Amino acid sequence: MELEKFERNNWGSCRLSSLVPPLCRNQHCCLGIDEAGRGPVLGPMVYGICFCPLSNKQDLEELKVADSKTLSEAERERLFEKLDSLKEYLGWALQILSPNVISTSMQQRVKYNLNALSHDTAIALIQYALDSGVQLREVFVDTVGPAEKYQEKLKQRFPELEITVKPKADSLFPIVSAASICAKVARDRAVKSWKFLEDLGDVNLDYGSGYPNDPKTKEWLARNLDPVFGYPQFVRFSWSTAQTIVDSRAVPVRWDDCDGDEKSSSKGSQSMLSFFARKKDDTKHQPHRFFQERKLETVKDL
Amino acid sequence: MMCENQPGALIKMDLGSLTQTAHDPIHLLPCEIQYDGHAAVDKYFTPTICQGVSAKEVSFRGRPLKGQEIKIPAGYIGLVVEENHRPCSEEEGRTVCMKSTFLSFTQWNLETLPSADDCAMMSLMWPKISEAIHRPVDSEE
Repeated sequence: MELEKFERNNWGSCRLSSLVPPLCRNQHCCLGIDEAGRGPVLGPMVYGICFCPLSNKQDLEELKVADSKTLSEAERERLFEKLDSLKEYLGWALQILSPNVISTSMQQRVKYNLNALSHDTAIALIQYALDSGVQLREVFVDTVGPAEKYQEKLKQRFPELEITVKPKADSLFPIVSAASICAKVARDRAVKSWKFLEDLGDVNLDYGSGYPNDPKTKEWLARNLDPVFGYPQFVRFSWSTAQTIVDSRAVPVRWDDCDGDEKSSSKGSQSMLSFFARKKDDTKHQPHRFFQERKLETVKDL
Repeated sequence: MMCENQPGALIKMDLGSLTQTAHDPIHLLPCEIQYDGHAAVDKYFTPTICQGVSAKEVSFRGRPLKGQEIKIPAGYIGLVVEENHRPCSEEEGRTVCMKSTFLSFTQWNLETLPSADDCAMMSLMWPKISEAIHRPVDSEE
């Protein structure tokens, strides 16, 4: 796994992949999808796929891959190396979404929610496998959001594939377990070797698991707040844990696209009498529209 | 500069401080940061700016920004001024010092590419127009 590719661009999104085994181009294959690092307020979220010929399903079962969450980090690392060595029939690919991509997507003018982002990432990975010539037949997915809806969405997008979306698919189907191990290993490595783009000097790296309810993570967030910038890009600003601290303890920031609602709501509660009041500004000299549009003003006072 | 409300109360600009001022990079953000004072721009902001396909890109508080460099019109200079102490009484004269000067700045938009329709770009047309309309009229024209 060449994580350096992601480290060079850890504000963006990056795809890492194994070589596609020639066998997967000639035989009908199954593919599993899972994600790692959906919950944490820190670090990237990783989507993983694994694929192999249907005839090799049994080999995978014998490897005793299990849901990555039930394994220790060392076991996951060992299993990943094992999976990566099965080059003759097993392939994998990962999409690493940096915390900056997550923050900026979720906080766009037109909000792009995490489920939609997850679904699109999964779809792009299936498409990647198809484009690479993998003879896909069966796809197994660990669900994000309601399973039926997600399954429907995937079936519409890929009508030729047999798609199964299930909660806990990572413990039901070995190919999904394999995908979950790849994703989790990548996520752990990415967090561990995180290179802060910011010039933070000796930043304390004792941030725990990154989950919002971890006391170490909470303390790290509380101590590493910058009053103006908030946090480095390692933090998902769109998580309520981070948002709450920024809103209450950092300098207030007003965006052009956020004051719209405030104005209209204050209009709604305008007093009846105000409609009959003498207009104050009528006699006042207004600058020409040219200056108003450009927000140009003569300086009269400081 | 003359204060409209108190005729006679002048605000002096200490141009003597101009020669020592550095050219600091200036960033114009599409939001109002309700704060005056030091900001760790060099630590948090500058190192995270990257060159995207069509514009510079960065994020501020987890929101995506796109930016472009805007040059101050020729013959003009951008000034950052600071008033070191506010006078105690209204009669007392006021003096502002040059803190920094700039010949260009980076204008950042929320998500959208910077364009000629942006307020900052449009406002820099004024010096040219101003010059044209204030030029003495040639009697032959």
